Amino acid sequence: MIERHRHILDFTLASLLRRKGKNGALLLVYTLVVFVLASVLFFSHALQREAALVLKDAPEIIVQRTMAGRYHPVPMAWLAGIKEINGVISVRPRLWGYHYDPLLRANYTLSVPAGNQPQPGTIDIGAGISRTRGAHPGDIIAFAGHDGLPRSFAVRAVLSYESQLLTSDLILLSEQDYRDFSGIPGDQATDLALQVRNPKEFRTIAQKITRIHPDSRPILRSEILRTYDAVFSWRSGLLIVIFSAAALAFAIFAFDKATALSAEERREIGILKAIGWETSDIMLMKFWEGTVVSLTAFLVGIILAYVHVFFASSSLFTPVLKGWSTLYPAFRPTPYLDFGQISTLFLLTVVPYTVTTMVPSWRAAVIDPDEVMR
Amino acid sequence: MISIRDISKVFNAGRPNEFTALDRVSLDLRLRESTVLKGPSGSGKTTLLALMGCMSRPSSGRIFLKEREITSLPERFLTGIRRSTFGFVFQQFNLIRGVSALENVMAPAYPTGEKFSLLRARALEKLEMLDLGNRADAKVEQLSGGEAQRVAIARALINDPEVLIADEPTAHLDSGLAHEFIRIMRELKGRGTTIIVASHDPIVYRSVLADRVVEMRDGRVLDAGNTA
Repeated sequence: MIERHRHILDFTLASLLRRKGKNGALLLVYTLVVFVLASVLFFSHALQREAALVLKDAPEIIVQRTMAGRYHPVPMAWLAGIKEINGVISVRPRLWGYHYDPLLRANYTLSVPAGNQPQPGTIDIGAGISRTRGAHPGDIIAFAGHDGLPRSFAVRAVLSYESQLLTSDLILLSEQDYRDFSGIPGDQATDLALQVRNPKEFRTIAQKITRIHPDSRPILRSEILRTYDAVFSWRSGLLIVIFSAAALAFAIFAFDKATALSAEERREIGILKAIGWETSDIMLMKFWEGTVVSLTAFLVGIILAYVHVFFASSSLFTPVLKGWSTLYPAFRPTPYLDFGQISTLFLLTVVPYTVTTMVPSWRAAVIDPDEVMR
Repeated sequence: MISIRDISKVFNAGRPNEFTALDRVSLDLRLRESTVLKGPSGSGKTTLLALMGCMSRPSSGRIFLKEREITSLPERFLTGIRRSTFGFVFQQFNLIRGVSALENVMAPAYPTGEKFSLLRARALEKLEMLDLGNRADAKVEQLSGGEAQRVAIARALINDPEVLIADEPTAHLDSGLAHEFIRIMRELKGRGTTIIVASHDPIVYRSVLADRVVEMRDGRVLDAGNTA
């Protein structure tokens, strides 16, 4: 039985190699389809995973203030009242914001770290800024502050986190420098980060804060994660929808290829039947043909997508899937393969192709063996 | 014995282009004998060969192979009989282009699942027998007409059939190669193979190969012939 499969597979491979041009083109298009689909799936999944890892250490609740529905700095006077709420372990005012650099037309994220603050006059910068501005530890770089006057800073260090997703465009500076640079007064903060003892109390505490300060907006970590998920899923979904047109074109191409069996192929099937092959043998040959083409395209496409996403920073999709303005992080997510994803891809690519080609192949396989004698 | 009883074959039945290729033909062919079906184009020779070789079914009538009725067998069984009992040499040779002579010879036996090494050895033996051992790896398009026909004969013999059927085997051969074909067929007959050839080439039906010549015309047997 195995020998029968082996013989027919051998013969199928020899047959495929005879039509190099036609099968090569099919394989190329097919591989491209798998590559793009797999890249989108791998990348959006990796982003969600990376975001979840980064947010693992984020504060459980962040309290912002809104005015007329828009963001507004939080008064430091809120601290005392929120600290009093049962279950709150600590409240930390945070200072952070954005700065637009007209020189490079890039947005930077400015932040005052909780610990290990740089000395006034010094900053730590992300790898993206270091790369684009050519700044290294010891160098002096200047940015225009809120009043338009330039401030100079000495670079203390370049941030070299494993994940550059959140640090590429980051500038860490002291509280004094931040307030001077951004113009935020000493009695205000960007937001408040809360630590809460019991996860079950997150919502209750958020409700209490809203009661005390009706203009506050408490944000739970789970809500941020959900938003990331929604955004990345939406973006990957968008890409897949756009791409589905290409996938459909491929399906038509594959169907056309399979239905329009050339006279030569029909003749060969007739010969094989005449010399003693059954319809089931021809079907087995066609099955192997489809399997060889689709599995090759599937494996090559998956491997290329894996390299593209995990080793080449997804260079083809960056502008669509990542929402960064200019300083794209050299984002290399941790290599990861999900069985569910691979199965989904398999179902989306190999199965439709095999089904699409089997029916026309069967029609060809039932050719009367005496056709070659007529 | 291959017994044909009142066989008719109608193509495109019920359509305006209906055509009766065979009309109530009855014939008995003895095994280990060589028979030549002689007649002009359209006389029904090829259709009769296809029916005897289990390639198609008659519109009416019955065929018996060694007293076993084969006309009503399902496709699988017919294919099995075709593979094990008959070997075919077609008019156009019908070799599969792009693959080697050796692969062409082995192809009929692929579905049997025979061990590859044994199959290959047997295919090489058949090619050697026909003086083609040194052409085993050549692609069929690189073969001369005579070589291509010998490959087709080797392919027909790969499953060691009892009956070899050849349809107009000399149609594309010059006289020298036609005589060479007769020589090979005689040799096979000497080894006990039954030969059935359809031909309107005098080199074939007047040759010493023909134990019996059956003359056909318009889908009927004019002369059932007698053993020479």
